[in-house]
Amino acid sequence: MSCDYRRKLELYADGEISASEHQEISAHLSSCPDCGGFLVQLLEMKKTVRIAGHRYSAPMELRTALAQKLRPEKVPGMFWRWGLVASSFAISAMAILFFLPRAERHDPLMSEVVDQHVTTLASLNPMDVVSTDRQTVKPWFEGKLPFSFNLPEVGESSPYKLVGGKVAYLRQDPSAEVVYEVGKHKISVFIFREGSGGPELVREHGLPFTVEHWNEGSVRFCLVTDSNQDDADKLAAMLHEANRR
Amino acid sequence: MDGRSNRDFEELALPLLDPLFNFACWLSGDSDEARDLVQETFAKGLKAFGSFRSGTNFRAWMFRILRNTFLTSRTGLERRNTSQQDEDGIDEAVVTQETPELELIRRADTELIQGAIAQLPPIFREVVILADIEEMRYQEVADALDIPIGTVMSRLARARKHLRKYILDTLGKKP
Repeated sequence: MSCDYRRKLELYADGEISASEHQEISAHLSSCPDCGGFLVQLLEMKKTVRIAGHRYSAPMELRTALAQKLRPEKVPGMFWRWGLVASSFAISAMAILFFLPRAERHDPLMSEVVDQHVTTLASLNPMDVVSTDRQTVKPWFEGKLPFSFNLPEVGESSPYKLVGGKVAYLRQDPSAEVVYEVGKHKISVFIFREGSGGPELVREHGLPFTVEHWNEGSVRFCLVTDSNQDDADKLAAMLHEANRR
Repeated sequence: MDGRSNRDFEELALPLLDPLFNFACWLSGDSDEARDLVQETFAKGLKAFGSFRSGTNFRAWMFRILRNTFLTSRTGLERRNTSQQDEDGIDEAVVTQETPELELIRRADTELIQGAIAQLPPIFREVVILADIEEMRYQEVADALDIPIGTVMSRLARARKHLRKYILDTLGKKP
């Protein structure tokens, strides 16, 4: 591979090239397996480094200390509400309380949903129903699952885009897998019957993906994504709002 | 600073807490030192917020404060003494395998990748963290690190080559 193309492929993978260069490289990739292989490898590296690199989270006492310094008159609990207020979504006070984190809890089911998400990412035909319209995706599941759920409205201006859905099997039980896009990232939302969970949002730690879950009655919602916590939080809030009973 | 500016700073800065702490941990290798760095960064940022020009990149500004704070710390000063050596030395890490080893990279687990990032010389590690982990544009990385954009590109390319070699070498040795 020529050094010129290797350098350009790095810019291409980083989204740092002009439209004309983009066309040139796309044309080259269609005729050069070596460059195609290099690019896939580079993208895989970027993805694994991004996931593994988010290794440290600020400890609670640091958050509290900073919140107190910035707003000495406020109680620390207000800090948690702040991030949501700053978001572009209208989230109710109920949803804000819903975000208060609770102690870490491990569930072996989480490995299964992560594996299912990765399988979806790697699949050439990942969806059974492909649509950006929730009125198409949601009814498609009717008769296929022993429970029902709602999907939130995502407008044109929303950073989230509905991609589609399919029936997935978790612990050999049928579940809905609904996929959204945010930026270049995909978020799989697994919806299944699970009576043991509570309504609080649980963030799983120690997994290579961002994983969050909570229950709406006896139905559990579980988000898996390689995007950041903030993206997951906002979509979780939208789903929570759409399914409050 | 009036109350409004304080609140403006809070709205801009607090969402950066986790990324800044993550960056500080990767730079210093010590969570206690990272905690101090982040606290100092917030204190300096708040104090200098009046001079921050709205419309410019706040994230790059805060990362730059953190990095400059780190460079004047004891660990940072030790690092500055080895930076030139790092810059000269990393080219020796040439990947000799020409065939793609995609499967090996896919087999790399989180621990291995974190080890690969940790073994990078600091001036390359910081570029990887900002560009690949925080997904900053090249210009934003250049602003945060106070280096030319061309240096960002060359360091990033060399860092990735080094990461790839580390992963392939490590997994290639396993039976």
